[in-house]
Formats: sequence, C-alpha cells, structure tokens
Amino acid sequence: MLEIKNLVSGYGEATVLKELNCTIAPGGVSAIMGRNGMGKTTLLKTIMGLVRAQSGEIFFNAVPIHSLPTHQIAHKKLGYVPQGREVFDKLTVLENLRLSALGSSKENLQLLPQIYEWFPVLQERSSQKAGTLSGGQQQMLAIARTLIGRPEIILLDEPSEGIQPSIVHEIATRLKKIALSTGLTILLVEQNVDMVMTMADHIHFMENGEIRETVGKEELRNSDEKLRTYLSV
Amino acid sequence: MDIIIPLVDASSYILILIMIALGLMIVFGMMGVINMAHGELFMIGAYVMVLCQSHNLPFWLGLVLAPIMVAFIGLLIETLLIRHIYQRPLDTILATWGLSIALKQAIVLVFGPEAQSVSAPVDESFSIGDFSYPIYRLFIMAASLFMIIATFWIFLKTDFGLMARAVIARPHTSETLGINTRRIYRWSFVFGTALAGLAGALIAPTISVDPQMGLGYLVPGFLSILVGGTGPLAGVLAGAGAIGGTNSLLSVWVSPVAAQIAVFILAIIIIRMRPSGLLGERDEK
Repeated sequence: MLEIKNLVSGYGEATVLKELNCTIAPGGVSAIMGRNGMGKTTLLKTIMGLVRAQSGEIFFNAVPIHSLPTHQIAHKKLGYVPQGREVFDKLTVLENLRLSALGSSKENLQLLPQIYEWFPVLQERSSQKAGTLSGGQQQMLAIARTLIGRPEIILLDEPSEGIQPSIVHEIATRLKKIALSTGLTILLVEQNVDMVMTMADHIHFMENGEIRETVGKEELRNSDEKLRTYLSV
Repeated sequence: MDIIIPLVDASSYILILIMIALGLMIVFGMMGVINMAHGELFMIGAYVMVLCQSHNLPFWLGLVLAPIMVAFIGLLIETLLIRHIYQRPLDTILATWGLSIALKQAIVLVFGPEAQSVSAPVDESFSIGDFSYPIYRLFIMAASLFMIIATFWIFLKTDFGLMARAVIARPHTSETLGINTRRIYRWSFVFGTALAGLAGALIAPTISVDPQMGLGYLVPGFLSILVGGTGPLAGVLAGAGAIGGTNSLLSVWVSPVAAQIAVFILAIIIIRMRPSGLLGERDEK
C-alpha cells in the first residue's frame, strides 16, 4: 500500500504539490489524470525521491520512504517508468535489462524468459542498441526493465506519449494482464483516455497539485462529465 | 634508425598521457568534476617511489604501493571534498585547484622543494641490430598498455563498467533502477586516481621528480580530452595520440618550445573544426 500524506513538493520556490493526500491500495491499476502542469509528473518524481518532498510523508507498506535516496526507494520494490522512456540509447536491449538486475539483484536475471514471453520483440532485438528501437518498442523496454527489478508497484508516467494508438492499446492490454497475473500494483499517470479505460480500476483526478476526486472506472464510463471538468475534453 | 627512437619515445609518452587522461576523463565524463589536482596525484605516485627508494624497499613493491596509496588519498579526497560538489564543474575547478596547491606544499614540507631521482630497476638496454632502447622504458610502455586495456575492459565488459556507463548517460534513471550512483562515482574516482598514481610511479625513474611535475602532465592530459572528445573513452586515445605525438616528436625534431606552441595551435584548430572533439558526440542528456 502506498500512502501519501499532506505532501508538499516542487522545484525551488515553486510549490507544485499542495498538501496532497492519496492512498493506492495493493493490486490493480490506479490512474492519475489531469491537465498539463497539474503536478502529475512531480508527484511520481517525489515518490521516487527525484524531487525532494518539502513536507509531508510517503509510506510504502507502512515504511516511510520520503527521506530515502532514490536507489533505496527502488530497493523497497517501487519501480518507475519515466516520461519519455529514458532507455539507455547506446546500450543494447539486453544491457538495459541487465542494468535493472544489477540495481536490484542479479538473481532477477532469471526473470528474463518471462520478460521475453511478455514482450517477444525484446528477445528478437536483445543485441540491438536501444536507441535504434521504435518508440513503442522503447516503451516496452522501459517497462520490461522496471519489471526485472521485481517491483511491487510500478509508477508509469505517460506511457502513451509519442506512440501510435495501436501500440498504446497493445501495451495497455499486456500491462493489465501482467498486473492481473502477478498481483503487481500499477500507478498510471496518463492523459490518454483509451489507455486509462483499458487499464485502470480507479481514477484520481488531479488539479492544482491536489487530488480533487477519485472515481471508479464504471462511473467514468457512464458519464464523461468528469473528463470535461478535469481534462477539458 | 634516426626516426625509430623518437617514434618509440613518442609512443611511450602517449601511453603515459593516455593513462593520465583516462583518469581525468572518467572523473569528468561521469561526475562533471574537473580535477585540477590530478597532476598532483600523479606526482604523489612518483614520490611514493622516492620514499620506497629511501627506505630501501624493492622497486616493484613501490610500483604496487603507489597506486594503492594514491587510491587511498583519492578515497579521502572524494569523501571529504569531491562528493559535495558533483556536477558543479566550476566549483570543482576552484576546490581541486586549492587542493593541488595544498598537496604540492605538503610534498615540499616533507621532501623539500628540490628535485629527486629514482633509479630504474634495470639499466640494460634491449638491442636488435643498430636499434638499442632501455629495457625499463619498454617496460613502462608494456605496463601502460596493459593498464589502458584493463581500463577499457573494466568499463566496456564488466558489470561495474555497465553501471558506470549507465550512470554517465542517465544518472537519475540509473538511480530509479536501484543503482547507487554515489558508490559508482566514488569507486570510479578512486580508480582514476589510482591510474594517475601508477603513471607517476612508472615514469619516476625517467624524469626528475619534483613538486611541480604534475602540471607538465595535467595540461596535455586536459588537451587530450578536449581534442579527443568527452564522449566515448576511445576519444582519449585519439586525443592523447594527437597531443602526445605532436609534442614528443616536435620536441626532438624542432625544439620543446616549438612543440608546445604547435600542440596549442593543433588543439585550437581541432576544437575550432570539431567543437566536441575528434570522437566526441553532442551531449544528449
């Protein structure tokens, strides 16, 4: 369980998250939606320790993580797939995956066959430089790289960005299956409504650095008023 | 035969320069630290040999002790100074420049300002026909070559090297994968200083060892990086080849002063034509 209490965070003197409270239950997929600049990415970065919390607390499985360095937060089984994928362009696909095992535990390399089963294209291209992959393949690599570390929760930042719709759908259905079969918790920051509707069980709407409302997927399916309010679509 | 000896001398100088520049490059490429004290770490390596000689310790023991002692000093420097100024190149220049002055003065206090000499463990020369060359100088070349290959192997073929390359490319992403970037920085810095210490120890019997000797190698070391490019490690080979080759050969054929001028002109031309160096790439971070 990920619990965020009264979280204030931002960059220098600019406060982005204003006393944010949120609880992500284990298992299933939660999505955070909101317009650009509302603090979604800042929230994920603050959870991972890439942006330091100015005040407030973050607990994962009841352990406070808000003052830990990023690599130790990762060791607590939080995985992070950053916006823009950030694969290591000059390293091969296999080296990208190996790095994640080196960062967590070398024994996690035993997960490779499973990873290749989930993402067969990564096995076909294992010796290819990551920079030569298409956007969708890089996204799969970024997700697979995080999964190698055997996280209990993964934080996904706009995985649909810059990827063609059919691949977005493919990634969404595959991730949903992985979450269902492994019990993995996914926290998805996304503006792509299709991806959210394919994957998420709960949707948190974010505005001006706060979570304003949390709704179930069915509620959202029956009424698009919330989307109009929070996303202007 | 007139040309072979200068060419072998130049190769020897280039190999030592590569060892020094590799240490500088690892530290700069990875941590954004411009280490102005790198030349003094090289000098301390040479002074470890002076110390060993004055205590009648075997030469070869000194050659093992020098990189270890300099690495230990490197570890102290990293812990007490460098880790507080990572990724702040301008601050690192000032801090390490101050450190270089302190290290030089410490050596003056302990050993005095005068030049010292270290005897080579073997005085014989290797001869084939008309060609004759001191065996110890050939040993320097072999040992430097070995260390250069070892450095490339460590950074290109081992798990540590893979993590180091990842940390250079994307430090934050590496952290999110659980990689302790601070630890990678620390041991890379220590490794770079050990290389400088070994280079100083190796070359000690062929030059006069004095407190100012570091600068004479630091400047061409930095020029090698600028000319070669700060991207791939291989840039150091190209840079040190160009700088060391020009400097060494022109010193013999024309004069040391002309060689220095030529080296700076060459560096300016290359940097003007290829701002990111011969093998350098644009920063994509």
